[in-house]
Amino acid sequence: MQLSETFWINFWRLFLLVLILSIWQWGAEVNQWLVSGLEKGWQKALTVQVLEPFFISKPTLIWARFLELGCFTDPAGAWISGQEGGFFGCLDSNTNNLWYATLATLRNTFWGFLVGVGSGVVVGLILGRSDFLAQVFEPFIVAFNSLPRIALVPLIVLIFGLGDASKIMTAWVIVFFIVFFSTFEGARSVDRDHINVARLLGASDWQVTWAVVVPSTLAWVFAVLTPALSFSLIGVIIGEFIGAQVGLGKIIIEAEATLETADMMVALFVLMIVGVGLALLIRRLQTYLLRWQSQFSGSGQ
Amino acid sequence: MEVAGDGAQARIVLKDLTKIYGGGSGSEVPAVDTVSFDVREGEFVALIGPSGCGKSTILNMVAGLIPISGGEILIDERPVVTGTPTPKVGYVFQRDTVYPWRTVRKNIGLGLELNGVPKAERERQVAEIVGRAGLDGFEDAFPITLSGGMRQRVSLMRTLIMRPEILLMDEPFGALDTHTKLEMHKLLLEIWNQEQQTVVFVTHDLGEALTLSDKIIVLSARPGRLKEIFDVPFERPRDAVSLRETPEFSALFSKIWHSLGEEFRRTSAEG
Repeated sequence: MQLSETFWINFWRLFLLVLILSIWQWGAEVNQWLVSGLEKGWQKALTVQVLEPFFISKPTLIWARFLELGCFTDPAGAWISGQEGGFFGCLDSNTNNLWYATLATLRNTFWGFLVGVGSGVVVGLILGRSDFLAQVFEPFIVAFNSLPRIALVPLIVLIFGLGDASKIMTAWVIVFFIVFFSTFEGARSVDRDHINVARLLGASDWQVTWAVVVPSTLAWVFAVLTPALSFSLIGVIIGEFIGAQVGLGKIIIEAEATLETADMMVALFVLMIVGVGLALLIRRLQTYLLRWQSQFSGSGQ
Repeated sequence: MEVAGDGAQARIVLKDLTKIYGGGSGSEVPAVDTVSFDVREGEFVALIGPSGCGKSTILNMVAGLIPISGGEILIDERPVVTGTPTPKVGYVFQRDTVYPWRTVRKNIGLGLELNGVPKAERERQVAEIVGRAGLDGFEDAFPITLSGGMRQRVSLMRTLIMRPEILLMDEPFGALDTHTKLEMHKLLLEIWNQEQQTVVFVTHDLGEALTLSDKIIVLSARPGRLKEIFDVPFERPRDAVSLRETPEFSALFSKIWHSLGEEFRRTSAEG
């Protein structure tokens, strides 16, 4: 009769999930029922509003909207497969359906991440290895970096329009600096003796760069891949808030305008899943890339 | 032609070698003061002295890692030019300098890789030298999983695979425990017996110097000056462990210890 710790951890997790969902689903009704006996109007107003479905929706409503936005059911709640047009007909009828929106957000996150990491590494390496260039560019980088990047988003949308380019640019201006600073720091702290060893073994300048400077700097880059990816997602969502045609951010901002809390919740849940998925993915990549470092070298996965 | 006493050719010649750190208008710190000695072909020379006596500085100047301030260094009659390392000179650092992101195989094979040796040939040479170093089975391990002694063996093999004629070693076993150190002495003596490199070995461990070298050069406390040169006449091949138990070893040990002791006292009195 020895139940493992894992069992109890999972038990309480499940319990909490059910509790949260239940309060969310029925909390307002229970609350109303409890308060209905009381005369005091102010108390009623206060308590009832806390769990008001108008603001937070309900799990069942969210689930129904999820099925509809995801083209699983029609607005009446009937399964869409077998109906005229079917799943793909439904996709075509709503350009910002859940699938297209998720895909657009993911795609732009990926490109923003890739462009941001790539440019951050290149610029970081160049400035990190050249004191002269680092000093020339320093004030510009400090100035640009102290500007909250979010403030640039309207300008970016103005220049690059409502399409993918503005989302990628937004993600880029955020990701670039994260990666740049880490790369710069890494390139400056390459072990002198590591360079000396290569030189004594006959390495040319280029060989020193490729065999020593780049790999030892990349360790610093790999360490910030996780924040870089989550900031890329943040950048894309903000870009979609300011102006977009498709995307999860677009669903959220539209739901705000039309007071459709359930739609907003659907988009938030999908974002949550996307975020967790991306984090797991990048974690695996990182484990592989940094397998030679202590904190990642355990049997792990 | 520079010819030493017994007719063997001098491969490394130091003439009034001087190093002053700082310079310009700032405070100048003399580190090495007019040091002269030769190292003959195939000779194993130990440089010993209290810490801060400039022994590592001398080695770094011979390797061309740092510029000299005065005098000259000749290797095979050519002056050493800072920043232009020659392949025939190998260098082993005191610090752990294996590349953590490279496996044992790739660390050892780096020199060959840099010099464009094809992969198959590289693998062959690495496999051979890995066996000699007792690193079999660890070829694909990353350095983080190895002990300090094994990592230093990787460093040593990384240098030796280039078949340097001259080997400069800067307290290569300074960070190892006594037992591991003796193991490394065995390995080094074994390799040296076969290949007879010309070695300059910096250390502050007199026992180590006596076990390994043909000649011990004692440097004075800062700034480093040549104090005394001792010949180490023990027969070769030597056994790193049993040699230490002989009366000759003890006798020479106490003789050099006395000379060295004066310098250590000077260092502690100053600092």
